[in-house]
Amino acid sequence: MTAIEIRNLSKSFGAVRAVDGVSFTVKAGTVTGYLGPNGAGKTTTLRSLLGLVTPDSGEALVNGKRYRDMATPLNEVGAVLEATNFHPGRTAHNHLRLLCVAAGLPVARAEEALGQVGLAEAAGKRVGGFSLGMRQRLALASALLGEPKVYILDEPANGLDPAGIQWLRGFLRHLAHDRGAAVLVSSHVLSEVEQTVDDIVIIAAGRLVRQGTLAELTTNGEKTVRVRTTGDGELAPALEKAGATVERLDGGALRVHGLEPEEIGRIVLDQRVVLTEMIAERSDLQKVFLELTEER
Amino acid sequence: MIALVRAELLKLSTTRLWWVMLLSTLLLIGVNLAFFIGFAGNAQGGLPALDTPEWAQLAWSAGASGRIFVMILGVVMITSEYRYQTITGTFLTTPRRGRVITAKLVAGLIVGLLFALAVLLFTALVVIPTVLFAGGEVSLTEARVPAIALGTVASLALYTILGIAVGALVRNQIAGIVGAVAWAYVIESIFLAIPALQVVGKWFPGGAAQSLMSIDVTPGARSDLLPAWGGAAVLVGYAVVFAIIANATTVRRDIT
Ligand SMILES: Nc1ncnc2c1ncn2[C@@H]1O[C@H](COP(=O)(O)OP(=O)(O)OP(=O)(O)O)[C@@H](O)[C@H]1O
Ligand SMILES: [Mg+2]
Repeated sequence: MTAIEIRNLSKSFGAVRAVDGVSFTVKAGTVTGYLGPNGAGKTTTLRSLLGLVTPDSGEALVNGKRYRDMATPLNEVGAVLEATNFHPGRTAHNHLRLLCVAAGLPVARAEEALGQVGLAEAAGKRVGGFSLGMRQRLALASALLGEPKVYILDEPANGLDPAGIQWLRGFLRHLAHDRGAAVLVSSHVLSEVEQTVDDIVIIAAGRLVRQGTLAELTTNGEKTVRVRTTGDGELAPALEKAGATVERLDGGALRVHGLEPEEIGRIVLDQRVVLTEMIAERSDLQKVFLELTEER
Repeated sequence: MIALVRAELLKLSTTRLWWVMLLSTLLLIGVNLAFFIGFAGNAQGGLPALDTPEWAQLAWSAGASGRIFVMILGVVMITSEYRYQTITGTFLTTPRRGRVITAKLVAGLIVGLLFALAVLLFTALVVIPTVLFAGGEVSLTEARVPAIALGTVASLALYTILGIAVGALVRNQIAGIVGAVAWAYVIESIFLAIPALQVVGKWFPGGAAQSLMSIDVTPGARSDLLPAWGGAAVLVGYAVVFAIIANATTVRRDIT
């Protein structure tokens, strides 16, 4: 089921084409990573989805509706934008409480949401004294207030410590896989979302570069095997004879392109050299990401 | 809409701004009253004696000087949302932005009324003992006290919403506050002080507020002001026109 639909979205700021004809969808029950380098247009896309930015053309719909047409948006969409959206003199609990009042939600949701993000202890503290990570958690709490089925998060891992990032990953997967929510999460660091997302959409300079499942994107990359032996260089020619391309790495190791580990093992045996290291290298996702985004 | 107005009032009550503004207002009025008391009956100062009805009129109308602070409060009620980017959360919760502005105007009206009540109470606490002590008679129904009290309530309430409308128009907190103060203390003072310019000045918010107070301390100035109801209409007009312009321009802008 399609929860988020972006159709031919374009938005310019003056001469800058921030988003240029982008289309993609996000299904319920999945986490979709929205990736792109700095200035790619991620924030602009997400803010268009949330009715904060008016696109020049195209559509950005959640549950088939424009955000501005929703009667009770907090019940449909939870959004996390920058970590600075708080009044420093207001307490975390009061911040959530007034959102509940404005949205017609029971005020008890404020405490529940604070508990869900692990901020129960800091509920009565002024946000001015919060760390960046605590602000991110509070932002996430405000997204949870209406218990929506669609989440839109702009770089939510910013400012979180490794434990916080781990927790966030688990939480987003839980929302999508256990509760059936659609989660769209942006990042400019692939490794940050690599372990969380099901689908990936890559944008660069305002244009969509690639989209697909995580598996589709990674199997496109080439497999290589790194080997290290005690031999004095007899192995490389033998591998090349078998059809491989061999890269000589620093420290005497070889990176072998075009042969399966089993074939390499047989050649090593034939050559009677002692194998000290053999690693099948999965295509580096970060490299794929860099290549995809740098060519433009 | 009631929920939105409640949320706006909560926004005020959960930060410290409102009581800083209330203290500033009372302080300003206190200084004015101290001046009126200190120089009462002083021939050079030209102030009436403490036990005269003229002095009571003057003292009771001191509260209206607090309008500059409620105006700043109104400006900050909206510009602080842009400053701290809480406007993002506000518009995410209520995507129809016109409703947010309307709720703020209604909340501002309520806050202005509450400020006026606090100001009148404070004035009463100073003026009544002072007059009694000077051997004068206290009457809350004579010396135009009811009219002055009503004028104070109206001008504070209307100046709060004027501030909100101005804040919505400029979005920038410093620009809004500096603009409001410069307008009130520089431009309006010039127009209201120079008789030839009063023809224009009476149509300004400050002139309209003066007509709401319509006291007869300086006889003759009267004819240059609008009638009290006209003053109220002018103030409401400014607030509504500014709010409508803001709604069609700045409020619509992209929040990035
Ligand atoms: N309000 C604005 N005025 C002018 N230009 C803008 C504005 N907002 C964004 N841009 C420009 O639009 C482009 C896309 O910006 P956007 O913030 O959407 O990128 P992003 O992918 O979120 O980047 P980042 O990873 O740095 O957050 C950039 O070139 C940016 O400079
Ligand atoms: Mg961004």
